[in-house]
Amino acid sequence: MEVKRREFIRQLCFACGSISLIPACTSEISTWRFLTADEAKLIEAITEQIIPADQDAGATDARVVNFFDRQLIGYYTRHQETYRKGLQNIESSSLKIFHKNFVNLDWDQQTEFLETMETGELPEAEWEGNEQRSFFRMLLDHSMQAFYGSPRHGGNCGYVSYKMLKIDYPHVIGQNRYPSENGNTNLKAS
Amino acid sequence: MSKGNRYKLFLVAFAVIFVILITSGGGYVVWNAADPERTCNNCHEISPSYNTWTASAHRDIKCVNCHGTAFSNGWHSLKEKTNMVFTHYSEDIIHEDIGLDENQLLETMERCTNCHQTEYASWKSSGHSASYSDIFLDEVHNSTEQLNFDCLRCHGMFYEGTINDLVTPLSIKGPWSLTLEEKADQATIPCMACHKIHSKGEPSVKPDYSAPNDIFYSRLNENKTVGLYSRHENMHFPLDQLPTPVMVHQGDTIKTPADPVYRLCVQCHAPSVWHLAGSHDDHTPVGVHEGISCTACHERHSNFQRNSCVKCHPAISNCKLDVKTMNTTYSNPSSPHDIHSVACTDCHEDMLVRE
Amino acid sequence: MKNKHVNAIVIGAGAGGGVVAKELAVSGLSVVLFERGDWVTYDAHNDDELMSQRTHPFENPFGPDNKRHRRVFVGQNGNERIVLPFEYPFNNNAACVGSGTVSYGAMAWRFMEKDFLMKTSYGHVEGSTLEDWPITYQDLEPYYEKAEWEIGVSGDHTGNPFQSVRNMPYPMPPFAYNRDGQILYDAAKRIGLHPFPIPMLRNSVRYNGRPACYRMRTCVGFACPVNAKCGTHNTVIPIALQSGNCELRTNCQVAEVMINEKGLATGIKYFDENDNGHIQTADIVIISCAAVETARLLLNSKSRLFPEGAGNNNDWVGRNLQGHAYTGASGIFEDEIYDDVGPGACWAVGDFNHDNEGIVGGGVLCNSFFTPPYAFTRLRPPGAKQWGLEHKEFQRKNYKRISSVRGPFQEIPNFDARVTVDPEVKDHWGIPVARLSGQRHEYDRIGCQFMSDRAEEILREAGAITTWQAVGGRGLSGDQHQSGTARMGNDPKTSVTDKYGRVHDIDNLFVADGSLHVTNGGFNPVLTIMALGFYIGEYIAKNWNGGSFTSK
Repeated sequence: MEVKRREFIRQLCFACGSISLIPACTSEISTWRFLTADEAKLIEAITEQIIPADQDAGATDARVVNFFDRQLIGYYTRHQETYRKGLQNIESSSLKIFHKNFVNLDWDQQTEFLETMETGELPEAEWEGNEQRSFFRMLLDHSMQAFYGSPRHGGNCGYVSYKMLKIDYPHVIGQNRYPSENGNTNLKAS
Repeated sequence: MSKGNRYKLFLVAFAVIFVILITSGGGYVVWNAADPERTCNNCHEISPSYNTWTASAHRDIKCVNCHGTAFSNGWHSLKEKTNMVFTHYSEDIIHEDIGLDENQLLETMERCTNCHQTEYASWKSSGHSASYSDIFLDEVHNSTEQLNFDCLRCHGMFYEGTINDLVTPLSIKGPWSLTLEEKADQATIPCMACHKIHSKGEPSVKPDYSAPNDIFYSRLNENKTVGLYSRHENMHFPLDQLPTPVMVHQGDTIKTPADPVYRLCVQCHAPSVWHLAGSHDDHTPVGVHEGISCTACHERHSNFQRNSCVKCHPAISNCKLDVKTMNTTYSNPSSPHDIHSVACTDCHEDMLVRE
Repeated sequence: MKNKHVNAIVIGAGAGGGVVAKELAVSGLSVVLFERGDWVTYDAHNDDELMSQRTHPFENPFGPDNKRHRRVFVGQNGNERIVLPFEYPFNNNAACVGSGTVSYGAMAWRFMEKDFLMKTSYGHVEGSTLEDWPITYQDLEPYYEKAEWEIGVSGDHTGNPFQSVRNMPYPMPPFAYNRDGQILYDAAKRIGLHPFPIPMLRNSVRYNGRPACYRMRTCVGFACPVNAKCGTHNTVIPIALQSGNCELRTNCQVAEVMINEKGLATGIKYFDENDNGHIQTADIVIISCAAVETARLLLNSKSRLFPEGAGNNNDWVGRNLQGHAYTGASGIFEDEIYDDVGPGACWAVGDFNHDNEGIVGGGVLCNSFFTPPYAFTRLRPPGAKQWGLEHKEFQRKNYKRISSVRGPFQEIPNFDARVTVDPEVKDHWGIPVARLSGQRHEYDRIGCQFMSDRAEEILREAGAITTWQAVGGRGLSGDQHQSGTARMGNDPKTSVTDKYGRVHDIDNLFVADGSLHVTNGGFNPVLTIMALGFYIGEYIAKNWNGGSFTSK
């Protein structure tokens, strides 16, 4: 058991690398911290629907799924069960409606599926009460955090969303020691 | 116990200790000489560094050559390495972000000089080799502008604490002192501020003499190690990841240097938030030198710029004036014509009319 | 180990408590200033939208932590649940030295004369506890001035023609407008309004030995990288500590104020950072924990004379919880109007604070602070797609084209928006937690609609091609503008403290924070909280007679 755990961590770190030491997004992901390989693929497909690639990077390019995996053993440990169950329910619903796993659906079928889920109209057998809508909201919110938030938390790899929005990062801003005697920063030449 | 037996026992003990010493010593030598794939990389924490190293220009240089061995720094490093091994086995935490602390980094930097003596000497002669005491105990600065968190963005970026832990008192009334005396002579802008040592790259190779004409073309025109270390992100931004600011001069957007190294320089030699050329710490050239790269005049490691004119100009310029003696800050520090912003019209009023 | 008896205990090192501690310490009283959080630095949380005081899906970067703190929130539908500090219904204020003043947007508003005379100005509003303050603007004016000069405010004292009379200009010149501020300024002028630069608790020039602001976009929600934002943590609290009379105890959770048989406060019980219980005795106790925690502490301080909590014999502690109903509109412009000049908000109009036909009160309107990318994902016109390509395209196309004009509508206080202590739920130390219940007065919806209409008009005039409103609702509001729960008043039957912040019938127990506010103005309240700190601090210091404190 111990050996297995070590080996697991070894592989995991080998695969995921580290923010400070390698450009974390370039390495292929083969092992996950919390997610199973299938769950990771499923999240990748869902988040790519939420933030698709076009002329700018999408969720997959930004390694949004890495944010989910990292936060599910971090700040979002409290959501582990919700994710495990919710992702399973999505698969069951998908199999029931389309007789296929979600990842194998056409792009448009995936969109349709998620739109149905957003309004809470998937067949109720898999979902209790408000569950499908609230899980969709959670997936949506976490995707946005991953893609548009700081890369420090595992997503937005290479600052792709900041680049898309054309905001300078790191800031290009100097200290104001030199401009005037009192340091007035409002000396804006017209 | 007879004398003979005691002697025997002593001999055996001696032999055992001898064997242990030889094996452990030998093992140590073998370990340090062995391929890091089989040694350092045994620890999962090291894998990411190992991986980047194998793809870097430094891949021919073994870990120990830069990072030292367990004995290279006496008791200090032995303790440090033992501690690492202990943590590795005792803690059940996934370390995703291990890195060098500032002291380790500075020790490693010392070893850069084994190969890069020229660059080191140049850096030493430049403003970028300023020590903590040079930067943080400057009376003129400190009595004008209170030291703050953001100082460490460009000086002392590897310092692990905050400005509160570094200098006391934090006010414009001195006298100031460094909280840790050993910091005084340490470099605030070490090699790693602008170079990521493990960056992807190719080691230098002997030219291919079968096609000597291709030597020029086989050389890369870009150094991938250059980039900015951000203390907030705890990572290097390679040049192509750094933003190119839109700069403004007299209401117009100006042409900024095409050389990507400009993006690095402007990070610390940065303008005001309005991005006005020449504001705050900015030196983006405008006027006759607009669009010229920083490195056209400033040598890379020394910042030496006393040869800057002759690099491009014949001694006598287009307008028959000796560029080196023109009224600019090149020859006279109090000249109103900053070399970064000098324009034709500064000397030739008639050009205004012609325009 | 027993703590040495001191002259005064101040609980809470925020906008109010920091000021009081300094006023007392420099007057020679020995003071212990308690803070449940710690010192925070810029380096700990910077440029990280998910770890800011404004957006905190993980945890509160400026405290309190999720582990030890909780509250109970009763929703509008009556459902109640335990909420953690990072959740919005917690109605958090920061828990660190300086509290909200470390990471705030730093608008430095004085309330107006009429803000102190709401009942006189507008009469009784059905279902509300609208009332006049027991003090006037004129009473507080010298203390506003003190706050402006000692803490530091940049602004144009002639800018707002509607402001009440002031004696001194601001100590620092105003900030220049950013691009959208300038566009809105021109538009407001065109339609006959009176725009002006927002007074800010930020250094526009070097001041008080600290540098000038360099206008980074990530300002509000973060500590300042250059220490140019003025809070109590870098102004009055250091002065208090340097005086040698003030000791700051961080990471201490105060459990209750001890009230003796004579109806006097004798000290407090608190837990240190290692959860060890202690007692600190003092001649005077000042509570400055912000509206929710101040009420909770008073209610948890039960004694024989005050069985329902200190000062609560008439059931007014915790009542009238107010914040601000934020309301306004957003607009999309054809051209880019964003120029990266932080912190964003720089322009205001005071035309709608009072004298709006058919409206009780009103509020100031300002352009908004920088909206970071994740927060921007929710800034959409009604009906816009929340995800997918369309959402992304909107994000890309409009990130630099949207401006929002918003403002804090002055809430009409009501008796049932309140803080109580929960009978069952306890925090990490076993102290009963605050329970928030009730909702805003129904009138607020009308006022918010009025202000949103005005905001939309300005945006349209400025050239916005698409505009939409975000109108404040009726949900209970407390968070960073929380106030009202220990109302000051002349009649002990309808208030908690007298006009000096002294709890009725407990001569040496004071409150000095937003809890005192009878009404919360149509402005961000921090400068008023600081001014009250100076006012109450000076009163205590002046009436201090070297031993017990019982003068009236």
